[in-house]
Amino acid sequence: MHRRRVLASTAAVAAAVLALSACAPSDDAPDPGADGGATSAAGSEDCTEPVALDVWSWRTEDKDAYEAIFDVFEEANPCITVNFQAYKNTEYNQILQTGLTGSDGPDVAQVRSYGLLQPLVEGGNLAPLDDVVPALAEFDDAILDGARGKEDDALYGVPFATQTIQVFYNTAIFEEHGLEEPETWEDFIAINDTLEGAGVTPLAVGAKDAWFVPTVHDALTAAQYGGADFQQALREGSTDFNDPAYVASIQTFADLEQYMPDDVVGVGYTDAQVLFTSGAAAMFAGGSYELAFFQSSNPELELGVFQVPPPEGSALDHPVSPGYADGNWGLSAASDNTEEAETLLNWLADAEFGQMVANDLKQFSPVPGVEFDEPLMQEMWDLYQENPAPYLLLVDYRYGDPVGTDLMGEGGQQLFLGELDAAGVASKIQDGLSAWWTPGQ
Amino acid sequence: MTAPSGPATVTGPTAEIPSSTRRRRRPLTAALPTGTALVFLLPAALLFGFFVLYPMVTALTYSLYSWRGTSQESFVGLGNFVQLFTAEPYATQVPRAFAHNLLLFAGSMVVQNSVGLLLAVVLHRRRRFKRLFQVLYTMPYLVSPLVIGYLWSLLLSPLFGPVNALLKTVGLEALALPWLGDPSTALWVVVLVTAWQWVGFPLLLYGAALGGLDQSLEEAAELDGATARQRFWHITLPLLTPIIGTVSVLTFIFSMEAFPIPYALGGSTGSPAGATDVMSLLFYRTAFQSGSSNAIGTSSAIAILLFLVIFGLSVAFNRWFRRAERRLT
Repeated sequence: MHRRRVLASTAAVAAAVLALSACAPSDDAPDPGADGGATSAAGSEDCTEPVALDVWSWRTEDKDAYEAIFDVFEEANPCITVNFQAYKNTEYNQILQTGLTGSDGPDVAQVRSYGLLQPLVEGGNLAPLDDVVPALAEFDDAILDGARGKEDDALYGVPFATQTIQVFYNTAIFEEHGLEEPETWEDFIAINDTLEGAGVTPLAVGAKDAWFVPTVHDALTAAQYGGADFQQALREGSTDFNDPAYVASIQTFADLEQYMPDDVVGVGYTDAQVLFTSGAAAMFAGGSYELAFFQSSNPELELGVFQVPPPEGSALDHPVSPGYADGNWGLSAASDNTEEAETLLNWLADAEFGQMVANDLKQFSPVPGVEFDEPLMQEMWDLYQENPAPYLLLVDYRYGDPVGTDLMGEGGQQLFLGELDAAGVASKIQDGLSAWWTPGQ
Repeated sequence: MTAPSGPATVTGPTAEIPSSTRRRRRPLTAALPTGTALVFLLPAALLFGFFVLYPMVTALTYSLYSWRGTSQESFVGLGNFVQLFTAEPYATQVPRAFAHNLLLFAGSMVVQNSVGLLLAVVLHRRRRFKRLFQVLYTMPYLVSPLVIGYLWSLLLSPLFGPVNALLKTVGLEALALPWLGDPSTALWVVVLVTAWQWVGFPLLLYGAALGGLDQSLEEAAELDGATARQRFWHITLPLLTPIIGTVSVLTFIFSMEAFPIPYALGGSTGSPAGATDVMSLLFYRTAFQSGSSNAIGTSSAIAILLFLVIFGLSVAFNRWFRRAERRLT
């Protein structure tokens, strides 16, 4: 009997939770009148009733910072209030899809970039912004690619964050062993040899998490296969992934395995982070999003950053920084407040907002003219601006199934396990992508 | 599930069939007026309809259409299903993931259910600390499988994991392998971690069934000179057939639906190199991580296919076990 009572009360609680969660979006949807009144009282007399814009995001961790940022917008635009709502990252795509196709959706929302943006564009859920936000013309073209509709080439978002991919290093370990940032490929190999000889793991890599493998491959070898030039050649159809330069870059990746932890396919991404932040490894090839984590998990850690110089005979003679757009602000095609939403989107493309993203959120705002307080961030951004390259498999090869990053993830694991050689990995990527992509398409 | 421990089985399994048949024939209105009975059934039926039937029917209709992003396009009949077996990457990944699900089921039957039965029998015979051990064996079952998977991936890390450190300390260096980094061991780690978490489940069911068995049969066999082993194989085990059937079918369903533990141990791509890829991961990748325009159509077809396999084979298993039960009793 007792057990049955426990079961019954558990069921009741579960049902209540279900009911609550079912109500959640509408319960959480702020009442337009609630804080609108206060703003209108403080604002200009032109608007009788301020318009409330619903703005959705997947950055629950940035909720407070965004609310403070939107306060600035509200002060300047007393006729508009912003109701910022953040949803869990892993559930956001689903919630947003439902929101944009239903009646309770946002006016403006953070949307994904590149391939993952396309379902919303193809479904007609987003409005094109080319004529709405003139400032977009000033943005970097490679970053804008993340906001383009695949079929009509129109822009469906204002990019809000960019990531760059470089090699972080522990300056204390470098100093201890008399090492400096590499100028040539030979320098880079010499650094690895010195560290290995001294019992320090040179490269903190974890290949167990497949998504991380293509990031490391691009960080180490993008210049070798040609970066943006190779991307262009693929787009034109003059080559494919079996290109000798691309195969050579994968071979280099395999050759560098000796500088990674033993059994690298068994080592997780978080293990690699711990190796680096604990000082057991000297270098970490990864994205700019690591910086905040590295600094918070070990505030003592002194960090530097460099681009890997390409080896002799590479497609490019200078190193590059791969990068990609991490997300955009999109305008719902179903919004009833288009005019106000457009005002907001123009502000989101403005340097005032970009600078707050850089200062308060510690993210790379792609808005032109933004500067970074943190010297390392500024350096990473400058490196990217000087020698940009696309994070190729993410930027151009996520428009179908299978996605390029998954193919390289699995292929890279097979490379380290000895199941495939460099040419085999390249042809795995080419064959996999050929399910939905042909060079020149 | 708890039926074997109830009063119906006290008189032995043979008495169960007529009693349950009789109960089934009794009209509903004998206990309650039809109207009242319907009122009581309504809330559950509504919840079931809204949260189970409606999504299932929706998934079925989704799987019969082609999609452009979130907009439903033309009716394609079984086109999405055919694609699962003819177009890459599905033609390779569906059979691979399905085979891994079956291996997971086989592994769970061998490891989880046999260990569960063994522990249940041992605990049934020993009264001391029985409750304590039941609770201990069942505890992992109460923790989220995602958390369990993540903890085991930390424990098995070749760099910082205590498992390999312990193996090295006791001189078993040769066994200090990259367990989750080697395709030949990774799936078995999934099997063992799953068994580690769920062993309490067969333990409880078998324990309840053992408690409900008629002791006089075993006592009679003992008086006739049967050894403990003979009594187990020829008395206890045949009487447990109904519950073995139930546990097997439930294990089959859990194994085919496995998601959190494979996801926590090998990520959404089933690392290393697809060695731990299972159907639910394939569904997850197709639905939420692919850039395919028809992601909704394809992933719904995977979901429906998985449902049909689970439903069809569960019904077949059930029938087979019921026949076996009749033969034995």
